Amino acid sequence: MKNLYQEKFSSVAEIQKRFEEAKYICSDQIATCVYIAHNLQKPVMVEGPAGVGKTELAKTTAQILDVPLVRLQCYEGLDESKALYEWKYAKQLLYTQLLKDKLGELLEDASTLRASVDKIHAHEDIFFSESFLEPRPLYKALHEKHGCVLLIDEVDKSDHEFEAFLLEILSDFQVSIPELGTIKATTTPLVFLTSNNSREMSDALKRRCLHLYVPYPDAKLESRILSTRVPELSQTLRSEVVSFVQQLRDLDLKKVPSISETIDWAKTLLLLHTEHLEPAMVRQTLNVLLKFESDIIATKDHLRTFVDKAQKFSVS
Amino acid sequence: MQQTLEDFYKAVRSAGVKISPSDSIETSQAVSLVGYRSRSILKDTLVVSLAKSVEDEHLINECFDQFFNTKTFRNATAADSDHDVTITNSDAAQQLENGAEGYAGESPLAKMLLARDTAGLNMEMRNAARAVGLTDIWFFTQKSLYTQQIMQNMGLRDIQSELATLGKSDSPSAIAAAGALRDARAYLYEEVRDFVEQQLSMFGRNAALTLREDHLKSAKLSNVEQRDFHIMHDLVRKMAQRLSTMYAKKRKRENRGQLDFRKTLRNNVAFDGTLFDLHWKRRYIDKPRLLVLCDVSGSVQAYARFLLLLLYSLSDVMQRIDCYVFTGNLICVDDIFEHYPVQQAIEKIMREHGMGGSNYGTTLLDLEDQCMDKIDNKTTLLILGDARNNNLPAHSDVMQMAYQRAKRVIWLNPEPENFWKTGDSVMHQYRPYCHTAKTCNTLQHLEALLDNLLRSATSAV
Repeated sequence: MKNLYQEKFSSVAEIQKRFEEAKYICSDQIATCVYIAHNLQKPVMVEGPAGVGKTELAKTTAQILDVPLVRLQCYEGLDESKALYEWKYAKQLLYTQLLKDKLGELLEDASTLRASVDKIHAHEDIFFSESFLEPRPLYKALHEKHGCVLLIDEVDKSDHEFEAFLLEILSDFQVSIPELGTIKATTTPLVFLTSNNSREMSDALKRRCLHLYVPYPDAKLESRILSTRVPELSQTLRSEVVSFVQQLRDLDLKKVPSISETIDWAKTLLLLHTEHLEPAMVRQTLNVLLKFESDIIATKDHLRTFVDKAQKFSVS
Repeated sequence: MQQTLEDFYKAVRSAGVKISPSDSIETSQAVSLVGYRSRSILKDTLVVSLAKSVEDEHLINECFDQFFNTKTFRNATAADSDHDVTITNSDAAQQLENGAEGYAGESPLAKMLLARDTAGLNMEMRNAARAVGLTDIWFFTQKSLYTQQIMQNMGLRDIQSELATLGKSDSPSAIAAAGALRDARAYLYEEVRDFVEQQLSMFGRNAALTLREDHLKSAKLSNVEQRDFHIMHDLVRKMAQRLSTMYAKKRKRENRGQLDFRKTLRNNVAFDGTLFDLHWKRRYIDKPRLLVLCDVSGSVQAYARFLLLLLYSLSDVMQRIDCYVFTGNLICVDDIFEHYPVQQAIEKIMREHGMGGSNYGTTLLDLEDQCMDKIDNKTTLLILGDARNNNLPAHSDVMQMAYQRAKRVIWLNPEPENFWKTGDSVMHQYRPYCHTAKTCNTLQHLEALLDNLLRSATSAV
């Protein structure tokens, strides 16, 4: 395993190349952002609709840097004990019970109360040491000797208290544990925070991060992504699929299909040995692309036109 | 180059993106890391480092294109390559070229102009612009001032004095040289003015609007004119957004539901494990329940409009708003708000129920009949009116009853406090039965009041 900062990227283009090798096609902006984040050790706040590859970006970065990925999934009610550390209460209890006799022996020769308390004081930290500590993702990330990629997923789902707690970690990469003192990261992790914009994040948090918005890809980029992810797909079918999905995105839908759905659909079509898009086939497989019944109904009227256009597009 | 970056930050700030000093320091570090070789990488770097939201991204992209776009001093060079340029431009270029051969003066500016050294001119102009502080330009009235200052800084004075000297001579060569210099001066003026205009559109973009908004926030609502309504509506929307992001997130821990066992155990270690201090998992957002009575008689109508607009823009942080308007009788307008968008609803209410002299006595009697059972210890009663009762009975006993039942009674009066006892005002009779009675005649008053209302509803844990 390498150190996170052992290898420096020489340029933005190199990052793009390395990502492509790892089967992640990224735009110039994404590559620039990763380049700056890695060199200046700044966290990145990745925003964008679901399924455009926000989480995948962090995973791929960990993969190409050959460091572990530590992932923290946020949800409402997430607190320090789930994100940072927790004492192993049961173990503490069990050990005090087991060591009861030992404690008795230890205190036997103490003549006064003060002497006994002093004796216990000499050992008090045993039960609040690292062996009784249950590390959670953030603690693990700070402790990772060679550095890691820390993915704080869907940070917008967490509470405001947790967001405030993240500030200390993101600016100084250290946390305070009352019983153990301040713990500082051995190697600053590369942090990615993802957000679906379900609520506005605080300015303080945004200020500490680079801001990256990942939109739906344009036709060219999507076609490249498809060719990397589903290489078995013929070129004609690929351009038909891309053109069809791009047209769908212009409709007023509840949930617009994202890249991951395009890939799933392409795989489905491949499985069904499709060579060209046909309205009947599209109608049957539309549920792979669209996740709401109302969206499927809204699209059915446009199916024929979309398929025609997609076929023309692929010919041209 | 650092100076250019700082100018760029200034342009982005004037476009409305907030950039703190630490943002600018970190962005400068990022820029020095990626370098200036590739325009698109530089742009991406500035965007990812400065933007905080998608809207910011668009603004910064726009600023970048405008800021790093050097259109000035292009005409003369374009004349050679582009056949579509207007004849005047190519003529001017031709004349300048002819003049350059015969020029024997000292002025470096004139030499550059006649030799069509566009790069040099551009550089000179930008240096001069920086020296006179062009980035501080706010208003279109400053255009001439800055144009003159930049030209002077570039060395216009030398050209002027050379022109004066040439004017004294009668020789044909001197006349031709003077003509070429005059053309050069006109060309310089056009280009500098063009540049100043570009800069104004960048740096002065929001300044005028900000000033107008500041004025409107503290202007009396009855004095706001129809043409400013759209700015007011925008202001109200911004205020509402600020208030709702501030209060939508305050949560109280609920006193029932699922037990937070972990927290309870931790907090009860001190009691020897006896579960004494209980903690619950569920949290809820306490939203105020409002009963609003709005006087829509002629004297108070303008205030009612903005109060209603602000209240209904805040609907996501209010649990429930029951809205009544009155002049002499209480009329429920909830269904109008349900069926129409807020602005249309307000227009409709004002048109249908507005005007006429107010009678607070009968209104309060209506309140007793229709809504007293809606008022409980969770309801805030909000009344907007000037309490000018046209010398009719005040019926303050109903106010007393409401005061005893409601969580809070708030009275907003557009008149200043020392008018409350004058003429036909019955405000002094109602005042003892209000938890808060305040003068409220500007948008700032309204905002402060709602801020207060929401804080008191959400602060107690």
